[in-house]
Parts: sequence; C-alpha cells; structure tokens
Amino acid sequence: MILPPFTLHEPKTVDEAVALKTKFGKDADFVAGGTDLLCNYKYEINAKPHVISLGTVTELKSFDTTRIGAGALLDDVMTDSGMRRDLPVIPAAIGVISSHLLRQTGTVGGNLMVDTRCFWFNQSKFWRDSISGCLKSEGDACRVVWGAKECVAVYSGDLAPVLITLGASVTIAGPKGRRVVPLGEFYEHDGIKRHVLGEGELLVEIRIPTEARTWKASYRKLRTRESFDFPVLGVAVAAKVDGDLLLDAHVNLGAVHTTPLSRDGAISQFIGKRIDEATASEIGEAVADGLVIHNNTAMTPAYRRKMVAVFTKRCFLDVTGKRAVAETASR
Amino acid sequence: MTPPSWNVIGKPIPQVGSRQKVTGEALYTDDLRIPGTLVGKILRSPHASARIVRLDVSAALALPGVHAIVTGKDAPRPFGVLPISKDEPSMGIDRVRYVGEPVAGIAADDEWIAMEAMKLIHVEYLPTKPIDDAKQALAEVANAADKIHPGTKFGNNLHKMVEQHFGDLPKAFSESFHVAKGHFEYAGISHTFTEPMSAVAHFDRDGRLHIWSATQVPHYLHRAMSEVLGLPMSRIRVIRPNVGGGFGGKSDPFPHEMIASLLTMRCRRPVRITFDREEVFISHHGRHPSEIDVAVGCDKNGRLTGLDIDALIDGGAYGSFGVVTSYYNGVLAQGPYRIDNFKYRGRRAYTNKPMSGAMRGHGAVNTRYALELLFDECAEKVGIDPAEMRIQNALPAYTTTINDFRITSNGVVECIEKVRDASGWKDKRGKLPFGHGIGLACSFYISGSALPIHRTRTPQSTVHIKIDMDGGVTVHSMAAEIGQGSDTVLAQCVAEILGLDVSWIRVKTEDSDLAPIDLGSYSSRVTFMMGNAAIKAAENIREQLRKAACRMAGGEPTDWVFRDAKVINTVDPSKSMTYMEALDEALADNGALIASGWYQSPKLGGAYKGAGAGLSPTYSFGAYITELHVDTETGFVHLDKIWAAHDCGRALNPLAVKSQIIGCVHMGLGQVLMEQWDFNHRSKGNIRNPSLLDYPMLTAKEMPPVDVFIVESDDKEGPFGAKEAGEGPLLPILPSVGNAIYDAIGVRMRELPITPASILRALEAKKKGKS
Amino acid sequence: MSQPPKEVIKFEVNGRTVEVAVRPYDVLLDVLRNELDLIGTKRGCDQGSCGCCAIHMDGRPVLSCLTLAKWAAGKKITTIEGLANPEPHPLQTAFETCGATQCGFCTPGFIMSAKALLDRNAEPDEATIKEHISGNVCRCTGYLQIVEAVQKASEELLEKDRPHDASVVERNRQTHPAGR
Repeated sequence: MILPPFTLHEPKTVDEAVALKTKFGKDADFVAGGTDLLCNYKYEINAKPHVISLGTVTELKSFDTTRIGAGALLDDVMTDSGMRRDLPVIPAAIGVISSHLLRQTGTVGGNLMVDTRCFWFNQSKFWRDSISGCLKSEGDACRVVWGAKECVAVYSGDLAPVLITLGASVTIAGPKGRRVVPLGEFYEHDGIKRHVLGEGELLVEIRIPTEARTWKASYRKLRTRESFDFPVLGVAVAAKVDGDLLLDAHVNLGAVHTTPLSRDGAISQFIGKRIDEATASEIGEAVADGLVIHNNTAMTPAYRRKMVAVFTKRCFLDVTGKRAVAETASR
Repeated sequence: MTPPSWNVIGKPIPQVGSRQKVTGEALYTDDLRIPGTLVGKILRSPHASARIVRLDVSAALALPGVHAIVTGKDAPRPFGVLPISKDEPSMGIDRVRYVGEPVAGIAADDEWIAMEAMKLIHVEYLPTKPIDDAKQALAEVANAADKIHPGTKFGNNLHKMVEQHFGDLPKAFSESFHVAKGHFEYAGISHTFTEPMSAVAHFDRDGRLHIWSATQVPHYLHRAMSEVLGLPMSRIRVIRPNVGGGFGGKSDPFPHEMIASLLTMRCRRPVRITFDREEVFISHHGRHPSEIDVAVGCDKNGRLTGLDIDALIDGGAYGSFGVVTSYYNGVLAQGPYRIDNFKYRGRRAYTNKPMSGAMRGHGAVNTRYALELLFDECAEKVGIDPAEMRIQNALPAYTTTINDFRITSNGVVECIEKVRDASGWKDKRGKLPFGHGIGLACSFYISGSALPIHRTRTPQSTVHIKIDMDGGVTVHSMAAEIGQGSDTVLAQCVAEILGLDVSWIRVKTEDSDLAPIDLGSYSSRVTFMMGNAAIKAAENIREQLRKAACRMAGGEPTDWVFRDAKVINTVDPSKSMTYMEALDEALADNGALIASGWYQSPKLGGAYKGAGAGLSPTYSFGAYITELHVDTETGFVHLDKIWAAHDCGRALNPLAVKSQIIGCVHMGLGQVLMEQWDFNHRSKGNIRNPSLLDYPMLTAKEMPPVDVFIVESDDKEGPFGAKEAGEGPLLPILPSVGNAIYDAIGVRMRELPITPASILRALEAKKKGKS
Repeated sequence: MSQPPKEVIKFEVNGRTVEVAVRPYDVLLDVLRNELDLIGTKRGCDQGSCGCCAIHMDGRPVLSCLTLAKWAAGKKITTIEGLANPEPHPLQTAFETCGATQCGFCTPGFIMSAKALLDRNAEPDEATIKEHISGNVCRCTGYLQIVEAVQKASEELLEKDRPHDASVVERNRQTHPAGR
C-alpha cells in the first residue's frame, strides 16, 4: 500500500506547528507517532495534502507526573517510575493500548486524538466505495443508524476516560495563544467533529492535578485479545475513598459513544455510601442504565451494555480495595 | 517394541533453511528482485453480483507508464483446482460473482501509476440481487440464467450434493438407549498466513513463461496455467520460493497467477503482483461457513450405534476444493470410533461471497466439533466417563470401517490414556468448582489423499537424487515447503538411509525445471508420500555404493551398513571405508550417481459412488484435554492448560512435530473462541473484518501452556513408520474446549466462535430453563 | 494528482551510512525493501497489526510500515540483517534450535522485538517476554517455542557475560573452533 501523496512539514516549535496548521487549515493534519493517522491514510481515509509532523517539536516530548507533553511516547510514560508510583492507573491504562510495538512510537496526545472508529468507516477505499461510503468518508448516509444526520463513530482511545476521571485538563496552542480546557470538555459529540480544537489549534500537553495522586483509580478494558485491539468498552473510575467509604467518584466510559462519556450523574446517589459487592453492582447497573450503544464495533451493543455494569462494578471494587488494583487494566 | 537406532530420524534437528529465515536472507516471492519488474495490480468488482455491461480500458492504457492491461476476455477458459469444478475465470467476463472478483489486471512502472490507471478503467455494472448465504441458495431459481452458475444441474444455487448410507441407521437409532442430536453453526474462518500471496511472472524472449509464486501446489498451478494460457506445460516453469505459510490458503491456482502471466505475455516484462491484506482475505478460500446437524446414538453400555450427519456449507462464488469438502464433512467422521450405521448428506451452495475451500483439517474440523460434543452428551446419559467411553469405542488398529476405509496403525487409545493421566482428568472432571472445567476430544485424519486430484498414472510423488565427486547429495522434489518442514523431512530421510548427517544433503524443491513432480502440500500427504519416495531413491543410491564397496573390498552387499559418513563392513570391520572412498569407486566408469524413487498409494476403498473421498494409505489419531475457566460475569473463557497427544506413527523430527501440534492448537483455539469471517447483510457482500486488526488471531498473551505427547504407532507403510502431523492435531482442540466449557458451566455451545456474549446468552437460557 | 519531489535523507542502517532519495509519504518499510534491498524486513499487513516489519530505530523496536522514511533521517536503524555479526546472534540460533521458526515470514519481526527486550532486560520472565512479542503475530508456531527461544537466548547471553576463568575460555575455543 502506498500512502496518498502529501507534503511533509517538520516544524521545530509549537508556534511553527500552529502557524503551519493555520496556513493550511483543513488541508493539513498533524501527525505524531503516525500509528493511527498513517493507517487511515493507507486506506485513503480523509487524507490531506499537507501533513505536519510533530516529532521534531521538542517541547511536546517531556513529561512528569503533573504534566505530560502530548508528544510523550506511550512506552516512556508507561515505564516511568514516578508515574508508576504516583499515578499507577496511567501506566496500567497505557499498557493495554494496542500492542507493545505500537506503543514505541504512539504518543499520549495521539491516543487522546485517536480518530473515532466504525466498521463502515475503517475500511479500504475499495471497500468503502463498494458501499458508497458513509457520513464520515465519501458518502452522505450513515450505515449504522438509518437516516442519522450525525456520525456515530465511536471514540476508541484508552487514556481519555482515565485522565478525565483524574480531573486532567489540556493545554491547547492556537494562533491566538494558549488556552486550557478541562479534558472532560475537550470532546464534542459527532464522530466527525470529535473535539473543540479550532482552526490552527494543537494539543500541547495534559495537566494532571496533584490531588489526583490521592485518589484511587482503576481502568478496565473490554476487547477480544489482550493485544492490538481497540477497546469496545473502557471503564475508568477514580474515587476518593476512606477504606470502603466512597467520598467522591468519577466514572467515564470509553468506546460506547462518539466521545468519552461521563457517567458522574448516574452515581451521585452512591457518594457517601460504603462499597461492597452489592452496592458496586448497583452502581454498575446505574451507570449502564439508559445507555444507547450502536452496533458498529466488534462486540454487540447488548453485550457491551451488560459489560458496562460488570466492569463498573469491578472498578469500584478495585478502588475500594475489594479487589487488587489490576497490574494491567484488563477486563 | 524398541525403536530402531537411527542417527538422523527421530532427532530434533533445526529446520533445513532456518538459518536463512532467522537472518533475513530467506527469499519469499515478494523479495525477488528481477531487473525490469513491473508492478501488477488488479481491479476488482465492487459488487457481489452484477453483469458487466461495458468495460473500457483505453484511457488507462494511454496513461504513460502503463505497459499492459488484461481483462477476462483475454483468458476466457475457466479453471479450478478440481477437474470436476473448473468454474472460475481469471477475471470476470460478462458477470461478477463476489465483491473483490478480479475484473482487469494492470502492469505499470510503479504502484502509483498502476493505482492511477485503475481509476481510469471504466466499468459499467448492472447489479443483480446477490445470494447472501447457503440457506438462501437453496431457493428454486425459475430462470437458469439467474443462477450464480447457470450450468449446474440443480434448480437452485446448490453446487454439490453428496448422499451416503451404510448399515441401517433408522433401525439403529430406534434401538438406541440415547440419541444425542444437535444443530451446529460455524462461521467461516481464514488461514491468515502472514505472507500475503505474491506472484512474479516473466515471459522470456525465448517464449517461455516463468512464474514464481507463493503456492502450496506448484504442480496444479502448472497444469492450470497451461490450460488457461494455452501454453504447453513444457513452456511453463513454476518456481516456488519460500512460502510464508499456507494452511490450505495457497493450495489452489489463483486468478492473480493467471493475471500476472497474461500481463507479462502481453508486455514481455516481469510482472509482480503482491496482495495487500484485504486482497488476501478476499482470495483466501477459507473454511466454509457451515450448518451441520448431527445425531449420535449409543446403547446403554455406551457403545455407539450410529451417526447421522447433514451438512450445508457455504461455498461462495466458485468451486475451489468444495466438492472434496462436501464429502469430508461426513466421511472423515468415520474414526476414531467404530460406527456401524452411518448416514450422510452434504450440500455445498454457491453464494455471492469470496469462495471457501480447503483449510487445515479440511472438512473434518466442524463435524468433529459436533460429534465430540454429542459423544460427551451420550456419555453423560449413559453415566460413563467420556474418556472410558472413547476407549471402548475406539477403532482397533488394522481394520476396515463401514465405508471401506482401511485403518492401519492406530494409537488413539494410547493418546487418550496419555492425556487422561497427565491432566489429572479423573480428579478433575465434574469435580472442579463451577466455572472451571476440563474437556476431552479425539481426532482422526487422513495422511495423504490416496487419489490424486486428476486422473493420472504418474506417481503421486517422485524424488531424484544426484551425487557427484564432491559427495554432496542433491535431492530434487517438487514437494512444497511452506514452513511445515517438508524439506527437513526430505533431507532427514535421505541422510538416514545414506548414513550421513543432513549437512551433506542439498534439498532442491523450488523449480519445476529441475525437480520431479510431487502433487503438493495438501491433504497432509507430503511426509508420507514424499518420504517414501525419498527412501526409495536413497536406497537405490545406497545399493550403488554397496556394490562399489564390494568391488573395492570384497564381501557381500549385505555386509555393509552406512553411518557417520562411513561404509562399515559388519563382518570384517577392517574392510570398512569412508563414504567418500565408496563414492569415489562408485563414480568410476559411471559418472555421477543418480536415482529416482517414487510413491504411489495402493489401490484402496469400496466401489460405491464417492468411495474415493477420504481414502488414505493411513490415518493419524489424537486426543487432547483442555482445562479452562469461564468468567461467568463476562463470558470470557480463560484457557489454563492443554494436554495434546497425537499419533503420528513416528516423529521423524520431534521438534517439527511438536511445532505442528502447538501451531494447530493455536489455530484451532482461534476458530473456537474468536475468529470469524464476518459477513453482514448490510455490508453488501463485503467481509466486515478484512484486516489483521479486525480478524483476531490469538496473540502470545492468549496462548495457554501446551504439554505435547507424541505417540508413535509405527505405521507399516509410513516412511520409518511416520504418518501426518500437520492437520489432524487441529481437530481435537475445538471440541476439547467445547466439552470443557460444558464441564465448567453446564452448557454445550453449538455455535462457533464461542463469544463471551454467546456464553452469557447460553447461561441465561440455562437459568430460565431451570426456573 | 502529481507526486511531490524526492528528497535525499541520510541515516545509518546496520552500521553503514546511506543516502537515499525518498518521497515525503514513503514509509520506511518500502525504502528498506525497495531502495536498500533489505528484504529481511517483511510486509505482512502494512497496518501495524502483525509486527512482521519490526526494526530498531535508535534502539527502539518500531513498526517500519507506520514510520515515515523521513523520520529515519539522522537515526540509527537496525534490521534483521544487522544482527548476525557475522556469526548469528544467540537469539537467531535459539529460534532455530527451539523450533521457533516455521514458515519464517514473521521471524525477523519477532527476533527484532525480542532483541529490543533483551537489550533492555537481560533476564525477562515469561510474562514479560509474552508482552514484548505481543505486537507480533505468528500463525505457524503458536508462540510457545518462540518464548522458549527468547529464554534460551537470554540464558546464553547471560552466560557469555559472566566472567570466565581462562581455562574455560580456552576449552571452549578448542571444542568450538571457529567456522566448524
């Protein structure tokens, strides 16, 4: 497979990168590790004539436990001893992103920006042409929901749900300077729009409040295999606990909606309660209740909804010490 | 018996050619660098079923850098691996029958130009309503022209129907203590070899066509090319470079091989066509999506009374190996248990999908799954240990089945005993906590189809040996090394007979100009047939060396043994000489030593229609036990351990046999737990998961530990007693998982793959059934 | 559409410096195979889902099918051809003797992943080995003998690094003369 032709730009600074993106607008994409974008380009999915490579922007690469440059390599963050000590849920969640090989070049920012996915979209040009495309590619109709006006492709990153529950925010650089947005408000509905980045804007870093270190957190990922596979469900829970007493908690779901999906509203009634198997189950049911999941990834919506309840329960048991916090964030 | 003392046979030596593979020097087809090679690309149909109204390549042909374009009309003669179903054109001529069917081929200076040219080919289609699945294909079609293949004898889209009946099944069932019945459904699956198909064709200035191709069946390719291209076989040379896995997926002649040939014949430049991964999925000829109804009867003592099988398989658009599959779904259930009453109906339907064909364990895998699960149900009803009941029902060695299969060596009981004892079966079965289970299943498989695919009196495998003054032993055979280790078997057989180590042996199995015919790597035939041919050739050479030794030192021909590169006189050791000394004498006045050996299967089987299907000079047997646990909240199956015993007659190379068994376990676990060729009625004939991301094969993380037990029943006709070990070992893993799941949670899963969701559904159904 | 011009980049591959003209959208895999004839690096899926194309870039194992060739500029690349020096690396011989290679198509990728692991962790346990080779797929072997081969190579390398007394070194030299 050959990539569709593009001009490659290799800026040295964030400002240069932003200037290039401002100049080329919708005719340009940023690329960091390339593990998502280049796959899509090989399938001729929304390829642009200009690609701005971020690998040469040194500012993006550094990280510590309070801020992670968007260009920090997944494997570097995962193996960092400070990270493992202070925020073990982050290395655990990175550990289940795709494969060991892919994490060598994949970046934290890249995982946050990973394109939404759908069976009818993540296919070759030949394949898409044979079904006359879809809303997100060359077509004008959604193949998942009959008559849908908005794309329902699924947000399929692993890190965003985790970082959102930890209260992270992101720094965005743009032509008018920098702004900070809570990560929970970064994503926007519609599998095509996806996020709040405006013209020329670039995700620069992720800030993690130091308070997050005092919270217990867990991430569990549903997928067929323990490597390669995107999540078909990710459940992230972060909680302030006193033993099994739940003082505060955040729940965020990945891979069930076009954006990471906060379910904090569904669990407010459980704050202040003691968590045992039964309450954890109730929380799981509450989080799963009313979810609309579309049939456009590997496992069926009915099953994934069931697993929302099971995984949420398990996450709450994890954070209240009923189960050992998983070394890897598996199931 | 004590195994004979051999020097090379039975030794775990590394694969011949492995040094090149680990250093990156091994050349696969796409690695060949022939100067002037053009890039070939295939334009494919976006429709599952359509008439081609207009096809105009003129604009594409005018693009600078495009050297040739060919279409279906350039090679109208259809082909197929089986002479009885040559129904596939190189490219769609006036109609297309599946999404991805080739419509035109382009040769261009580079990939970029070829892709641009592809966009300039104008094809006007008139789409017609596609047939999505086998059941739909059973509907009568009023107008024959509307059938997928108008010429077939059925009034619907059936391709093949097989019916067999032995004994009196209705009577046997009516007298049975229990008849276990089930309807089983299986998704189609793919071989998923790592090397995409690739072919390089070069029509040289002398008018000879050379093709390098990643194929398991160079000889069948040779024949098919001759027919399709209208060239005598003598003007075609087939070269098989290293092949990156096959598993049956490279065992047909393919359109791209024809297209590359047509292109090079047009422009006289070498043309390379290498598939991308999606094209591999489109062209794979994988295991048929199947629906199989099976009934197994037993008496009150657990003795099997009869077996009824009704299989409907989805063949896709063309024949491929499908006629054989239609038989194998039934007849390969004749072992390892004695079945006295047997009825089988097999039907294969044409549908508008990429075709299905042969895949490791061809035709036997899906029925085996059903049979072994129902066997366990019988054992439960009778109240007998399933292992015990299997031992009781096992076919004896040296017997004949009701459908006239000749059974020779048979180590199935030893296999069962080995895994039963090693796994702690008796302490575990039915005794593990809920969610944990252990399951057993057996296998039976051919060790080479006794009949060649086409009618011929030529031996099925011929091996040539040449030795000249340097002493190196050059061995020629067209047996296709596809990673399974056939070159190693060849080298070991010859080395053993000549008393040399394998470093003396030079295996040449690539080139049809040099090597004599072997029918190819399918039906687990190579070790048995090529091995026997190799032994025969090597014995001939040894005879020549013996005579030379006698000439030099006197004594009788029977006095000599060959080992450690020496020719040893057992009567008078002082007469012993080195291999090189004996060779020197043998070459005198004679020139290079040459010899030929061949193998032809004995005449076997009954006289009834279809009696040839499933005939084999010998059969392999096996028994596996799987221990697993089920997460009853998520439905995930976690594999704890596999105990795998396989009777391969004799392990010519235990390392290779072990590799085959573990590899089979891996592939079978994929089919039983996750792999599926995902079709969706809304995807308009497209496979929904034509990528290695979406078509999941097990990674190292899912692979459980496997304890391998090699059982050696010493087959009297096998080379050094050997039988196959490449396909049979796949069969038991699927039902051993199915039976273990039953032991764990009390549900028999009748649909493959067994997904977590299906486990939860089954658990819920069970709960409802009880309440 | 027209193609943008090629640009010459310079990098080190298997210890030698090369200059090669690439297009901005060429991936490293294509450049290695087609421009430098380093055909040991295989194309299995072209999508990062098989690991057949794994190489080392500045010591890190990466998927060359998803790496733009231009990103290699100024870097040190090692491919499977760079491991035998000239005798095969212990990983390579272990893959042979453990039966960890069958068709061999995935083998270079596995060896590159395993080499990166052993460079980082000389004595990995089984779970670590599985983790580090789980970006590679093999359809022939079922992985178990690959894991065994990595363990074996790890032991051999550790053994080699241990200080020998001179007599042992001498004895080894005599029983294993170079070139065999």
